[in-house]
Amino acid sequence: MISKRIYAAWFVIHFFLITAVCFAGIFSLIAEGATMLPSAFQRYARKSELITAFVLGKEATASNPIRRGIATYLHAAGIQSGYSFFAPNIPGYHRLGLELYYADGRVEYVSPHLSGRAAALRLDSLLDRLADNRYEPIREVVVKMLAFSVWRDRPEVKKIRATFGTVSPPGIGDFEHGKRESFQPMFSYDFSLREKEKR
Amino acid sequence: MSEAPQIALNSLPFALRFTPRRWWTRLLAFLFGDWHYLFASTGKGLVTRKLGEAITSFDSPLIPKLSWLVALGGYAHVGEDAVLSIAWACLLCMGVLLLLGLFSRPAAIIAWFLHLCAAESGGLFAYGADNFMTTGLFYLMLSPLPDRYSLDHRLLKVELRDPQLLGFWRRVLQVHMCFVYFIGGLAKCLGSGWWDGSNLWRSLTRPPFNLISPEILVRFKYALPILGISICLIELGYPFFIWIKKTRLFWLVCILAMHAAIGLAMGMYLFALVMIVLNLAAFGIGVSDGQSVSTQVMAGGSAEERSNVSGLAPGASPLSG
Repeated sequence: MISKRIYAAWFVIHFFLITAVCFAGIFSLIAEGATMLPSAFQRYARKSELITAFVLGKEATASNPIRRGIATYLHAAGIQSGYSFFAPNIPGYHRLGLELYYADGRVEYVSPHLSGRAAALRLDSLLDRLADNRYEPIREVVVKMLAFSVWRDRPEVKKIRATFGTVSPPGIGDFEHGKRESFQPMFSYDFSLREKEKR
Repeated sequence: MSEAPQIALNSLPFALRFTPRRWWTRLLAFLFGDWHYLFASTGKGLVTRKLGEAITSFDSPLIPKLSWLVALGGYAHVGEDAVLSIAWACLLCMGVLLLLGLFSRPAAIIAWFLHLCAAESGGLFAYGADNFMTTGLFYLMLSPLPDRYSLDHRLLKVELRDPQLLGFWRRVLQVHMCFVYFIGGLAKCLGSGWWDGSNLWRSLTRPPFNLISPEILVRFKYALPILGISICLIELGYPFFIWIKKTRLFWLVCILAMHAAIGLAMGMYLFALVMIVLNLAAFGIGVSDGQSVSTQVMAGGSAEERSNVSGLAPGASPLSG
């Protein structure tokens, strides 16, 4: 009887947390104005997002044991993020282009890549994250590391210019009229690798 | 090298040109290459593992990560590369053991732990399939093991434990899948692109999912809105129609077909496989005969017979058994 109550209590808490995480994701999309709902909903969605954040302990300090306990459980159960994949709309994708400048004046254009298809999918996932404002503090570090991974294979490269941007694919009608994808740079960094190596 | 042997070498079939040593090197590169590249620390990998782990630690330092294993290996004077290779090999072995049903409980716990370590350490590279795998392994680890079809039970004669709990854990998975599709469907319905087919066009034409040529897609442009709306309705309707006996098989086939199509058309094979396995585990057993699971529970029977009942009918208490 006691074990049944424990199971029932766990069931309720577990799905309460899943509900909170999922609706936090939905409210966030509405608050950002990413949905086709009228803008009047955004204010309410923002308030609701705060409530779900409170429920998940995200309003507490980072060292708060309740916050840490909830976060650990969510990650352990794989329920730390909602299920709004490919929703509500599919934005453009992101591309990191690297211009490699050699000592002899040659310039080569490459992108960081992985050998397996599954791993390549993960790299795209990383690039999409980099565009997110929440990842702004680590953006330069990550781009530098990606550039460094390319440089390891080509140690004779003198300088790398990394350009990160959004690729907007054409709609189906535009594609039929011959329009192709366009690239809008978001930011770029120059890395002088020889100097770094000397240091 | 003279010209004659060069011609002879070129005429050899491609596969025969490699020596066993080269084959072995290529095999190792194939098996471990991306794993090491993704999880190596500073200066060796694509992006240092430590960055992903630092972000995870911000959420909670108690979340398992590969650095724990690397630190543990350090005490035994085992290098990082060796620890990563061992972790990969262990994960593969645990997967095989789980497929066979051998040493089910320890295999499930180790598989969950190693997968969680990898998923959290590579959090920057993570996508939906990782979360679903963690969830699946989490439920599996807590479920009553071994299963009646496992080699643990058949060969090693390990007794089945708490067969009635199997129904509870299956119900947990069923409810979870309903959440997944309801939220997914709701979020899609809120985007205009799923109603006019433009989201389907964008998802099928963006790299790395662009396996189908856009020229072919253009030919079926009138089908895209229908398919987009169908996806919304299938996902949103899942938590309702999957419980109704008459519509269960149809809805399950629709959702499985949707995942198979995603896997084949977008190259998301792992994601498709994980979702198909989870759906079959939740609603696949006994769906074809249309028999209510509660009927089997009511019929009672031996522990082994009851272990066959791996779910409860809608409305029945998940804790009864």
